[in-house]
Amino acid sequence: MFASSLAVVLLTLAALLGAIVAFAWAWRKGHFHVDARAATLPFDDHDQRVARPWETPSQARERVQAHGPPLPPGPGEWGGA
Amino acid sequence: MNLRVWLLLLGAVAIMSFAAMVLVVVPAALLTEVKPSPGLEPYTASEASGRGVYIREGCMYCHSQQVRDTTITTDEARGWGRPSVPGDYVYDAPHQLGTMRTGPDLMNVGARLPDRRWQLLHLYQPRAVVPWSIMPSFPYLFEVKAQAGPDDEVVTVPPAWAPESGVVVAGPEAVALVDYLLSLDHTQPLAPTEATPRAR
Amino acid sequence: MTPPESPPAGTAERSALDFAGREPALLCFVTAVFWLLVGSIFGDLASLKFQFPDWLADSGALTFGRLRTAHLNAMIYGWSSLAMLGVSCWLIPRLVRQPLAWPRLAVGGAMIWNIGLLSGVPGLLAGATDGLEWLELDWRFSDPWLVLGGAMVGGALLRTVLGSKVEHLYVSVWYTAAAFVWFPILFVIGNLRVYTGVESAAVNWFYGHNALGFWLTAINLGAIYYLLPKVLGRPIHSYQLSLVGFWAFAFFYSLNGMHHLVGGPIPTWMITTSIVASGMMVIPVGAVAVNHHMTMVGRFGALRYSPTLRFVVLGAISYTAVSLQGIFTAFVEVNRVTHFTQWTIAHSHVGVYAFVTLTLFGSIYYILPRLVEREWPSASLIRWHFWLSLGGIAAYVLALIVGGVLQGMALLDPARPFEESVTVTLPWLAVRTVAGLVLTAGHLVFAWHIALMLSRHLRRERRLPPWHEAQPRLYEESG
Repeated sequence: MFASSLAVVLLTLAALLGAIVAFAWAWRKGHFHVDARAATLPFDDHDQRVARPWETPSQARERVQAHGPPLPPGPGEWGGA
Repeated sequence: MNLRVWLLLLGAVAIMSFAAMVLVVVPAALLTEVKPSPGLEPYTASEASGRGVYIREGCMYCHSQQVRDTTITTDEARGWGRPSVPGDYVYDAPHQLGTMRTGPDLMNVGARLPDRRWQLLHLYQPRAVVPWSIMPSFPYLFEVKAQAGPDDEVVTVPPAWAPESGVVVAGPEAVALVDYLLSLDHTQPLAPTEATPRAR
Repeated sequence: MTPPESPPAGTAERSALDFAGREPALLCFVTAVFWLLVGSIFGDLASLKFQFPDWLADSGALTFGRLRTAHLNAMIYGWSSLAMLGVSCWLIPRLVRQPLAWPRLAVGGAMIWNIGLLSGVPGLLAGATDGLEWLELDWRFSDPWLVLGGAMVGGALLRTVLGSKVEHLYVSVWYTAAAFVWFPILFVIGNLRVYTGVESAAVNWFYGHNALGFWLTAINLGAIYYLLPKVLGRPIHSYQLSLVGFWAFAFFYSLNGMHHLVGGPIPTWMITTSIVASGMMVIPVGAVAVNHHMTMVGRFGALRYSPTLRFVVLGAISYTAVSLQGIFTAFVEVNRVTHFTQWTIAHSHVGVYAFVTLTLFGSIYYILPRLVEREWPSASLIRWHFWLSLGGIAAYVLALIVGGVLQGMALLDPARPFEESVTVTLPWLAVRTVAGLVLTAGHLVFAWHIALMLSRHLRRERRLPPWHEAQPRLYEESG
C-alpha cells in the first residue's frame, strides 16, 4: 500500500491541526512570551537613534520620541558602500 | 543565564536524537531482517571492482538504480523492470540509488542490454551507438594498441570514431565496469509475500 | 518601543567585541571566497559538459561525475560553511556581549577545516569519493580534518555563548548555537561506514536534507534575523513567533529527509513520515516569512540605501520560496513528475544560492568593513555583483524548472522514447550554462572588490576613526 496522496494530505492536515492546537495552547499558557526586551538585543543606543533616510516623517518622529535626538548616519552605516 | 543556554542546547540535541531514532536507528533494526531477492548473488571480485569504477566516475549523478512504485510512476511500463525492493540491495554499500535520470535507470541494465561489445563501445564513445546521447565518453578507460594481445577485449569502433591507427582495447577498469553493469539484473519475480514488503 | 535592557553599548565596546573574532572571521571569509571561485569553475565546466560531452574527455579528473562532485563539495563545505563560520565568529560575540573566547583555537580550527578541503576536493577529482551524495569527501584524509576543525571553531563559539553577559538569548543565537551542536552529530552519523543497502540510502538522505536544514539554513536564518532589524533599526515583527518558528523548524525539518526517496524501495512508513513532516513545514516557514516580511513592510525604501539589505531581503524571500517549493515537491502528485529531473537541481540552487549564498554576500558586505575598519572602495562594483547574481540565479532557476518539468513529463509517458526526455532539456541546459557563467562573473567582481579593500587595508597603517563618526553630516528630516 503505497501511501496515496489523499491519505498523506489528510494525515498531514490532521497532524497540522494537532500541532496548531499544541502551539496555540503553549502560546496561551505564555510559554513563548519571553521578555519582549530580548527582541531589542541587536541594538545599541546608536542604532536606535541614527536617522534612516528612507523613513517617513512620522516614522522618523516616532524614532525621535522613543530614543532621543537623531544621530547622522556614517559612511557604510547600512552595509556596503 | 547559563541554564537557558543549556536548555536550548539540550532541546536541540533531544529533537535531533528523536529524528535519528525514527529515521536511522529503528529502520536499521527493522532492515536487518531483509533477505536477498531471489537469484541475487554477491558481487564477484571483478563486478565489485567495476562497482568501484561506477562510484568513482560518478555514474550515479545521471543514472538511478531504482524502479519506482507502479502506482505513481510508469517506470515498469517503460521496460525498466519490476519495482525495486530492499532485498535487491543487500550487497550494496554504499547505495547508488541516485536522484537523477539524465540517463536511463540502470537497475536492470544487464538484462536489458546484455551485449558486452555494445556496452564497451558505449563507454568508449556513447554517440557511436546512441547518436543523441549526452553521456561523457570514457576513452581513458581504454587503450589504443598497434595490435591486440591474446587476452585483450577489442572494441569494434565505427570508422567515424576510431583512432587513426591501431585498435581500441578495453582496459582492466572498463572490463570490470562492464562486468558490473551486466550483473545488474533484478528481473526475477518476487515471491508473493515479498512483492509487498513495504506494507510491513 | 521599549528601551534597551542593558546600558547601551558604545562603539568602543562594539569594536572591542568585534576585535577578538576578527582574525578567525577574516580568515574564514577570505578562504571562503577562494572556494567560491574554485567551485564556480568546477560548476561551469560540469555544465558545459552537457553541451560538449566529448570536450576534456581524455582525463578522468575532468569527467562530469567528478567535476560535479567537486563543485558541490567546494560550494557546501568550502564557500558556504567557511563563510558561515566567519559570520558566526562575528555575530555571536556581538549578541552575547562577550568577546570571542579562545580566538586562537578558532583560527586553528578554520585552518584545519581548510586542510581537510585542500586534501578532499582535489581528492574528488582524483577519484577518491565515499560515493554518497553530500558525503563524498574522503572518510580517511578529509572528513577527520573537518570534524576536528569544526569542533575547534564550534568550541570557541559555544564557550562564548556560555559566558554570555546578557539576560536573554537573541533568536539568532538560538539558531547559530544549535547549529553548532546539530551539525557535528549529523556529520558523524552520516559518515559512519556501517550502513548497507537501503539503510545506506535512508541515512544518506537523513544527512543530506538535514545538512541543508540544520547547518546552512539555521545559520543563515540567524544572520537574517540579525541583519534585517539591525539595518532597519526596528525589532523583528514578532519575537515570540520567531521562537515558535525555531522549535517547529527543529522538530519538523529533522523528519523530512525520506521525501528524497518517494516511491523508492524503503519502507513506506518512513516516506509517509517525511511527506507529512514536509507538509508541517508550513508552520516554521510561515512564521519566518511573516516575521521577515512584516519587519520590512513600510520600509522598502531602505533597499535603495543598503546593499546588505538588498542581498539579505532577496535571501529571505528565497527562503520562503525554496521552502514552499520543497513542500510542494514532497507531495506525490508533483514528485512523480519532478523527481529525477533538472527540477531538483533548480530547487537546490534556489536553496543554496538564492537563499544561502545571497544572504552570505549581504552579511559579508555588512561585516567586512567593520572588521577591517575600512569602507568598500566602490559602490558600482557592489551594484555589478548584485545584478549579476540576481540575473544569473533567476535565469538559472527558471531554465531548469521549465526544463525539469518538460523532462519529467517526457519520462512519465512510456509512449515517448527516452530520447525525448533528453532532447527537451538541451536548450534549457544551454541557458543554465550561460546563467552559470554570469554568476561566476559576479563572483569575480566580488573577489576583486574584497582584494581591493584588503590590499588598501594592508598598505596603510593608519586607521580610520570609528566608522560612524568619520563623516558627521547634519540630520535633515526628509519630506
